[in-house]
Amino acid sequence: MSVAWQFYISTVLIYLGVDVIACWGLNLQFGVAGLVNFAYIIFQAAGAYTASVLTLGPAKPARLGGFQQYIGGAHWPFPLPILAAGLVGGLLAAVVGGFAIRRLRSDYEAMVMLVVSLIATSVATNQVGLVNGPNGLALVPKPLATLVNLSPIGYQWLFAGLTVVVAASVYWLVHVVTSSPLGRTLRAVRDNEQAAAALGKNVTGLRMLAFVLGGVIAGVSGAILVEFISAWSPGSWLYPETFVYFTAVIVGGSGNNFGVMVGALLVPVAFLEATRFVPQFGPPGLIDALQWIIVGVLALVFLWFWPRGVIPERRRRFPAAGEAGVRRSLLRMGSGR
Amino acid sequence: MNTLVPAIGFGIVTASILAVAGVGFTLQFGVTNILNLAYGDTMTAAAFVAYLVTRAGISVWLALVAGAAFGAVFSVLLNRGIYTPFVRHGTRLFGMIIVTIAISLILQNGLLAGFGANFFSLTMARPSSVHIAGMVFTTVQLAIIAIAVVAMLLIHVLLRYTKLGKAMRATATDPELARNCGIATDRVIDLAWAISGALCGLAGVILVMNVTAFTDTTGSQFLIPIVAVAVLGGIGQPYGAMLGALVIGIASELAAAIISPDYKDVVAFVILVIVLLARPQGILSEIATRKEVAA
Repeated sequence: MSVAWQFYISTVLIYLGVDVIACWGLNLQFGVAGLVNFAYIIFQAAGAYTASVLTLGPAKPARLGGFQQYIGGAHWPFPLPILAAGLVGGLLAAVVGGFAIRRLRSDYEAMVMLVVSLIATSVATNQVGLVNGPNGLALVPKPLATLVNLSPIGYQWLFAGLTVVVAASVYWLVHVVTSSPLGRTLRAVRDNEQAAAALGKNVTGLRMLAFVLGGVIAGVSGAILVEFISAWSPGSWLYPETFVYFTAVIVGGSGNNFGVMVGALLVPVAFLEATRFVPQFGPPGLIDALQWIIVGVLALVFLWFWPRGVIPERRRRFPAAGEAGVRRSLLRMGSGR
Repeated sequence: MNTLVPAIGFGIVTASILAVAGVGFTLQFGVTNILNLAYGDTMTAAAFVAYLVTRAGISVWLALVAGAAFGAVFSVLLNRGIYTPFVRHGTRLFGMIIVTIAISLILQNGLLAGFGANFFSLTMARPSSVHIAGMVFTTVQLAIIAIAVVAMLLIHVLLRYTKLGKAMRATATDPELARNCGIATDRVIDLAWAISGALCGLAGVILVMNVTAFTDTTGSQFLIPIVAVAVLGGIGQPYGAMLGALVIGIASELAAAIISPDYKDVVAFVILVIVLLARPQGILSEIATRKEVAA
């Protein structure tokens, strides 16, 4: 395989990893817990900024050749910035969830989150001292690059391997959550909030938990992304990016971790990342515009024909325990005890 | 003080545009219960129609009419062709959000693909400026205020004194009861989209009359203040939206003057979030709660 092909494949693999991680986090919030988080991208952004700032080192003043200003710079060794990104994503989710998770109609909930996303973009752009304003952060050092002595292509594969490891860990996390009694309770809250509350489940706490876990996962995905592309600015996380992830989750099959992975492969990777390597045609910006139109049409087509996605959430049945239990209690009633 | 009085003047102009857009938004939302996030992009599309008209050498006043007509026709077609079929197909609240955002993206990027990533402006006579009580207005801005006042009066007359207005208010309050009373709700809904679309188109054109240049995102950037106006006033309450427009228009221009122009929109954002979270019963009001659908 030629080096160019290897670069292409490893790059797409890394983007795929980032998008799959992000989609699993969104699926945990939306597909499993039914939270309409239209600010999802800001948690990825928070993770990306955290990881950048913690690897860039302290900001240099302009007279010493510093060209970007930000707060809290540090030189943390490799896995720490990614873990910190997850932590910050989770903390931000706790803050946003603390005031935004209410019993609202889902279109109002979506609206609140959309506005939160716009406010975050506005603050990050206008408070230049925070994360370098509209120009964003650049020249984020790549993890381990100084420790391992690899050719550029060797490093690409190392990074791809790293992404796969992180993605596998995130899969393990979401799988444990969704296949455990906790996942069942979250789905119960999603499907019938009143019934779950009547059974004594702490509905607000459960939704909050899913929201924070999703925030952690989004933060980690942002960290991986920024360590790879080594630059991050408000233009990278405008609110339509959240729409892409939602489309991916819907296309793949909301509530189904495997389906969501397929969705992440089809939507963000196939349409947005892979076409970056297609030769440009028409005036600048035309391809981007066409990509967005395709994503919009894709969302419409799937909502119309396959609203449950290509791999729908599996219908869960609990016949044995339920029926036996019911029969037993009926028997008990019949015998007058 | 020296900066505050002119800021109030700007606020009145912004409020006029917001009032036209907000009343259109709230009318349609109240009657049809669809949160149409493609509203801002419909405004942009109407602005581009007006741009084409003025570029053909026709006066900007006819461009206003063309923009409003485009908005009305486009909105009715959008509802008939896409929104209503999706609702009948069983798409619920969240799904409809995705549908309207998809339409918004398609529309905005369609305009981008068609017209290119440039700045556009309407061709019109250079306006002169007028001083009124320490505030400076251009003649165009005075015209915008006049258009808004006339549009609001017409809406008032329509809602209060015509049979259609009554039918519209009835449909907004309880569509099923309205249908049982012999109101042709489908026709009322079509007309609601048409009137809302006309106001939307009108708002799109006066919005770009007031700025030096516009792009494919001008309308969508204005969407959140419009939603804030509608929500602050209470969904489906045109008079509330008029008041909301005045509050948000003036508050955001004052914030621009006192804090920083960068935070002009943040005022509307914050008002919207606070109202949505703190007084959902106020926004959901009697109309929306009765029509509430499980998410």
